[in-house]
Amino acid sequence: MKRPLIQFGLETEIGIYRDGAAKLDVVSESIALVRAAAEQGVLMRWDYESEDPHADMRGFHVQTLRQDADEAEYAVEDATRGMSFAEIKSDLVLSNGARFYNDHAHPEYCTPECSTLEELVAQDRAGERILMACAQALSAREGGAVRLYKNNTDFCGHSYGCHENYLLPRSLPWETLTQNIQAFLVTRQVFAGAGKFAIEAEDRFVSPGFQISQRADFFSELQSVDTMQRRPIINTRDEPHANPEVFRRFHVILGDANMSPFATRLKVGATALVIEALLRDPKRTFPRLADPLGALTGIARDPWFRWELRLAEDQASTALEVQRAYLEGVKQVCDLGTPAKAGLVADWEAVLADLAVDFRRCRNRLDWVAKFCLLSEFQESHRVAADDLWLRSLDLEYHRLEGTEGLYYGLEQAGAMLEVPDEAATRLAMREPPRTTRAYVRGRCVQKFGPQIASAQWDHITLRGRQGPIRISLLDLFAPEDILRYGKAVDAACSPDDLRPLATLAS
Amino acid sequence: MPDQAQKSRPLAPGSGGGGEGPSTPKVDKPNVDDLLKRMRKVDPDQAKRYRQRTGQ
Repeated sequence: MKRPLIQFGLETEIGIYRDGAAKLDVVSESIALVRAAAEQGVLMRWDYESEDPHADMRGFHVQTLRQDADEAEYAVEDATRGMSFAEIKSDLVLSNGARFYNDHAHPEYCTPECSTLEELVAQDRAGERILMACAQALSAREGGAVRLYKNNTDFCGHSYGCHENYLLPRSLPWETLTQNIQAFLVTRQVFAGAGKFAIEAEDRFVSPGFQISQRADFFSELQSVDTMQRRPIINTRDEPHANPEVFRRFHVILGDANMSPFATRLKVGATALVIEALLRDPKRTFPRLADPLGALTGIARDPWFRWELRLAEDQASTALEVQRAYLEGVKQVCDLGTPAKAGLVADWEAVLADLAVDFRRCRNRLDWVAKFCLLSEFQESHRVAADDLWLRSLDLEYHRLEGTEGLYYGLEQAGAMLEVPDEAATRLAMREPPRTTRAYVRGRCVQKFGPQIASAQWDHITLRGRQGPIRISLLDLFAPEDILRYGKAVDAACSPDDLRPLATLAS
Repeated sequence: MPDQAQKSRPLAPGSGGGGEGPSTPKVDKPNVDDLLKRMRKVDPDQAKRYRQRTGQ
């Protein structure tokens, strides 16, 4: 079988706080943060008309989302700001092909589309840097240090996401994908969880205590199109941002925001491998859980890290055994001929083995282990009670995007974490798009013709030409030879008009 | 998981709880002494002030 096309990207909502603010308006702060960007970009040209979050993979359109009532309330509030919709969103398309904007009340950084994990990790770290540069600029301009947190909660039941997107051929039936990947998604928190010193429910703090996941508390449905309330393990939004006849976008909203690049690589890489296994062998069956929602919180909150669960056949198992079943399936089915894939599988296997012997072996790779070990050592040496609010403050500090303050970055600087991204690669990713995806066309257009960009979306970009708009469709731009051809055309173009043949080709 | 189970969690698995949980590991421990000192400066009330709106 030809290698199936799977591309991926991350969209991360960031928590924001300003020191000394008597009453923080997170929407204003978020808008101001995006607008403080010094990176080259195109402002307020995002095309919202082609977005449709009401389309459901199961073949229908929902009339309303659960969040629509809240959105209407926010719209009334936003109307008093004296700003247009576009000004409130403040969308910025960056020269690296990323999207950076105010999503409701959070700055959101969406990486460009990536086809390798190396690209993804570099782009994710580049996003942290870009956001932090914005915070520093805003702090200097307006006073009061702006703090950014790459986490998923305020410990009072208000969660925000780090969504993963996987573009894959639509030929894989939705039912086959979701039925077979559900147990993987529920159990992968053993390596992908970011850890949390709190138990929460929607809109409330429940109790102190450690769990391995930031997000597990906020899921109460198996499948639905919603993303803000009664969130589902499987999100059914059908918005491929690509040719809908050929592709689907698997929008995973269950995961935690990872600080550790190793954890990011393993989370996205292992998920992509499971998708590849299903594409290569759709008839292969993987474990099914008896109670996926119960297992999600049961694994997250298990105080002994045994992660026991029951399979659909009422058979006792563990999260590690389920993960091993997926790993075995991937090894049997997937093409692991590249060093990157072989290395990923080896890392996945090693992590599962280490977790089985002693989770502390993973403190140099996994967020939840690194956080748990560090805070436990502090707790012990300073005699901090298990219910002390200080633990939540330290938990928050783990995720702080400030190189000299954030505890995760402190671990990196102490040499305690593996796979610290190369500084040169990070700096390059702050301004350059991946060369292997359509993001290259978007990013290079921003670099060369930013002021002439009339609108942009993931699947198209429209430039102002002398004889009218030049709309370059990116809907089907995934074949490497096509990306190369389009990329060369943009590289060679002296004006948007030179790109008109691409518009002609695509129409 | 009942709240009581959370309250009875040991400081670290293996360091209490009647001998349950993983055994004491042989794991290289990084030198995080400076970081532990930095952690003392983190305002214990920072999480209380940190309030966000629900996102996606």
